[in-house]
Amino acid sequence: MNILLPTLLIAAVAWPLLLGLILSLPRRPGIVLRLAPWGALPALLAVIFPSPDPLIEVPWLLLGSLWGLDPVSRPFLLLAGLLWGISGWHASTSISASRQAHFFSWFNLALAGNIGLILAQDMLNFYLFFTLMSLASYGLIIHTRTAEAWRAGTRYIILVMLGEAAIFAALLLAAAAAGTLSFEHARPVLGHSVWLDMILLTAWLGFGIKAGVLGLHVWLPLAHPVAPAPASAVLSGVMIKAGLLGWLRLLPLGETMLPAWGAFWIILGLTAAFYAVVIGLTQRDAKTLLAYSSISQMGILTATIGLGLLTPHAWPAILSALLIYVLHHGLAKGALFLGAGILHQSDTRSQKWVWMGLWLPALALAGAPFTSGMLAKTLLKQQTLQLPEYWAMPWQVLLPASAIATTLLLGRFLLMTAPHNPARPPGNPAPIGWQWPWCILLASIAAFPLGMGRISPFHWTGRALLDSLLPVLAAALSVLYISRSQSRLQQTAKVLNTLHLPPGDMLTVYEQAVMYILAGCRRLGRDDLPRWLDASRQKFLALRTSLDWQKIGTKLETWLAWWPLALTGFILLGLILANASLR
Amino acid sequence: MSMQSWLPLLILAGPLTLGLIIFMLPENSVRTRTTLNLLAALIKLGMVGWMIWHVYRGQHFESRIVLMSDFDLAMQVGPLSVLFLGLSSVLWLATTIYAVGYLEGSPHRSRFFGFFSLCVAATAGVAMASNLFTFLLFYELLTLATYPLIVHRGTDIARRAGQTYLVYTIGGGTLLLAGTVWLYTLTGTLEFAPQGGFVRTLGQAHHADLTAIFMLLIVGLGVKAALVPLHSWLPQAMVAPAPVSALLHAVAVVKAGVFGIVRVLYDVFDIEFAAQELGVTTPLAIIAAVTILYGSLRALFQDDLKRRLAFSTVSQVSYITLGIALAGPLAAIGGLVHLVHQGLMKITLFFCAGNLAETLGIHKISEMKGVGQRMPFTMAAFTLAALGMIGMPPIAGFISKWYLGLGALQMEQNWVIWILIASTLLNAAYFLPIIYAVWFCDPPASWPVMRKPTHQETTWALLLPPVATALLSLTAGMLAALSFSPLEWALFIIHSQFWR
Repeated sequence: MNILLPTLLIAAVAWPLLLGLILSLPRRPGIVLRLAPWGALPALLAVIFPSPDPLIEVPWLLLGSLWGLDPVSRPFLLLAGLLWGISGWHASTSISASRQAHFFSWFNLALAGNIGLILAQDMLNFYLFFTLMSLASYGLIIHTRTAEAWRAGTRYIILVMLGEAAIFAALLLAAAAAGTLSFEHARPVLGHSVWLDMILLTAWLGFGIKAGVLGLHVWLPLAHPVAPAPASAVLSGVMIKAGLLGWLRLLPLGETMLPAWGAFWIILGLTAAFYAVVIGLTQRDAKTLLAYSSISQMGILTATIGLGLLTPHAWPAILSALLIYVLHHGLAKGALFLGAGILHQSDTRSQKWVWMGLWLPALALAGAPFTSGMLAKTLLKQQTLQLPEYWAMPWQVLLPASAIATTLLLGRFLLMTAPHNPARPPGNPAPIGWQWPWCILLASIAAFPLGMGRISPFHWTGRALLDSLLPVLAAALSVLYISRSQSRLQQTAKVLNTLHLPPGDMLTVYEQAVMYILAGCRRLGRDDLPRWLDASRQKFLALRTSLDWQKIGTKLETWLAWWPLALTGFILLGLILANASLR
Repeated sequence: MSMQSWLPLLILAGPLTLGLIIFMLPENSVRTRTTLNLLAALIKLGMVGWMIWHVYRGQHFESRIVLMSDFDLAMQVGPLSVLFLGLSSVLWLATTIYAVGYLEGSPHRSRFFGFFSLCVAATAGVAMASNLFTFLLFYELLTLATYPLIVHRGTDIARRAGQTYLVYTIGGGTLLLAGTVWLYTLTGTLEFAPQGGFVRTLGQAHHADLTAIFMLLIVGLGVKAALVPLHSWLPQAMVAPAPVSALLHAVAVVKAGVFGIVRVLYDVFDIEFAAQELGVTTPLAIIAAVTILYGSLRALFQDDLKRRLAFSTVSQVSYITLGIALAGPLAAIGGLVHLVHQGLMKITLFFCAGNLAETLGIHKISEMKGVGQRMPFTMAAFTLAALGMIGMPPIAGFISKWYLGLGALQMEQNWVIWILIASTLLNAAYFLPIIYAVWFCDPPASWPVMRKPTHQETTWALLLPPVATALLSLTAGMLAALSFSPLEWALFIIHSQFWR
């Protein structure tokens, strides 16, 4: 193996890290800002470099580190390289010049974290870069400094800390159970560990927060939309997948059959796939709607993990379907978020073209024929045939149903942003120019089925085409049916309005719970504990002053002044001492 | 006598004589005093470095002065002493530089630096003591040497804090003395025995006495180690000047207490004997866990920056006690390594707090909004240390927490994981709002000018020490697998001294 690829891998992390650190300095050379958008370049180069999977050992970093590429991390690295690269390029034109240094410092730090966690093959490095990414994305979320951004940022960072603690516990238990820090060696052993349930629970919680699992998703519809478009694209396209990668690395997938946990993951995932669509349909902001679409799509991926826990023997095939789905969703969602941002910054005339461009990723997510979505969904559906009957049936029904739901959601997105919609974003008087990066992203989405179709076990059959067409058609027809008549449109709007929940839906419940806990902490920490301590100290002081020590002393002195008593006491003391020394 | 036996005496006598010389120097001979201080700190660092190298190669340094029959002033430098010595000599250098900058132009500097040197000498003595008698001697000397530093400012509140400090520490010292005397009447020796302790031979009949002695010793040491409910002096003592607080919280006083607990558990009682036959370690672990949570809970609601840091110390120092009390090798590594890690991180935090107070007159967290723009490097150091305290990788605190967790699981004390998680979250809850205010809030229209304006955010003497210690705490975590890192040294102690 030559030296080039390891160098590229190290540069893939070190280069953005360096850029981010220099950009955060108070004074910096001007050239750095010009280089800042290209943080993802080494990662992209590394992934297209044809070579066997390298493994780099860095024994002096942390407790000994393993970095490398393997079949799981390659697609993730490809997605990250593409989307971060394109978003960086886009940001160099769409972010105002005065804020670019600020934006790109956080952007590059988060990028370094994201690439690092993809390359990490041991637990501590994964945790290190996961933390770096999570903390740095705070800067992206609060970039606009609006009230919503601050609110979203606070919710986000609280959940990040919860996740950090949970992941710490999960990795600690796994490391203790397996006696190794390497994921590859730990995975086969974990299935027999006594702590397995605890590991799965904490991993679900810790990584689930990042992946937006049902119940832990509340920060996501707030945080993803408030960031600038290129940041939203990477947040919803790539960074959200870090949680998924965490599961792929840690869970004993393909090793141990865990029916109960599999069911847990599947039920949570499939519920999220529909729940998020229902909430998302009622949203009034296009980017929030897209965030809900991400939650729904991550639900399907979560359920796929459950599939793997149920059928370990089929895991290799499930994994390849899952990886294709990851790539497909990341690119499409990135393109949608970028497009939504471009729409805001274009003048009225080019808005029409941008809107038409949005159709491609929207159709791909819906799984329309000849798109990446069809490929991903068909492959995934094939895997469910391995399941026992009572699991296969729901999957066969729910997957097409989720395609209908997704189409409805994206149909609403397209209606919201449509040129003839009075509520669409107003044209920007100072438009940003022609968007090459976005066009490249669209082109890669279009080319995806051709490229992937060749290397995956996918066959272009009429059945597959029909299966992918029907849900999209059904949803499209119903959207068309509603939008044809003004009264039906109004009625639908009324229903959606009554169903409307503010972004973050369950968040209000959590907020109340957190407030309650905080109030309890405050009562305990600020009022009760100091008071108890004071009270006990007072009691002690009272004991000291209440006994009249001086009086006792005087009285003793008067007694001893009567010499026979003193003499008797003296003799007694002597006898006691003599007795003690004899013994 | 050979080099081996001279060196410990030199390390002890150096700061001691330096302290006496400085007392005699006139107040305004700043340059002589500074030169002497820095020279002494550098020489000591060099000597300790030399000893570290030789201890690593298996040598021991030993000196012994016979005071009266049976009571020798005995010092021995092995791996464990070197850990504490190394920490104290590195941080002494940093604190000396810092104190020179901090006290520039203030009165009573000869007194201050004199007692400062005595304090360092006492700490070295505590680290090197090889019997309980010597340990006790230096432990008490430390109490007396730090008192003038705490009341240095001479204000009412400082004097009150000093009084509280004396009441607590002298009280604790008395119990420690009582325990030591009782122990001597039973065993007839006080020599530390790193393998197996020296009380094991006493037999079943004495277990009740030994438990009582253990309690006396731990309560005596627990005052300085700030175990709840003996911790109240520590948050009050934060009225002292920043370099003193830094030294108090990071190296000298609290660490002397914890170091004593390590000595008692490993070298007086055998750890396995204490855990299995006396059963005293689990209660100690529970007290440490309670302290961890209590300190963090109290820190959450302090607006005074140094007071919040002080409660944080109460909490963090008990990580060490917890690690030792879990009575397993991995947990002990976590505890011992945190002795160094906590020192590095906490001294950074106190240096930064001092910088804020000296440069901008900021004492409260509510006044820290936007200060990151005014003092970026100070606050970057603060942020690094605070993230380390929370336990974020790759900063030193993470490594300690990781080993504590592994150790707890090794000893099947799974509840400790919950303590670690709760402590992580609480630490985040009281450090992140500070970091947020510093970097993300808008600064006030203008900052007060406290000193003569400089090009940098503050003077070099104030800026360099916190930046250096922050970088040290980063590298201690990031390069933990490298030889001579604190972690590797803790492993070395465990393998060569405690768990063969």
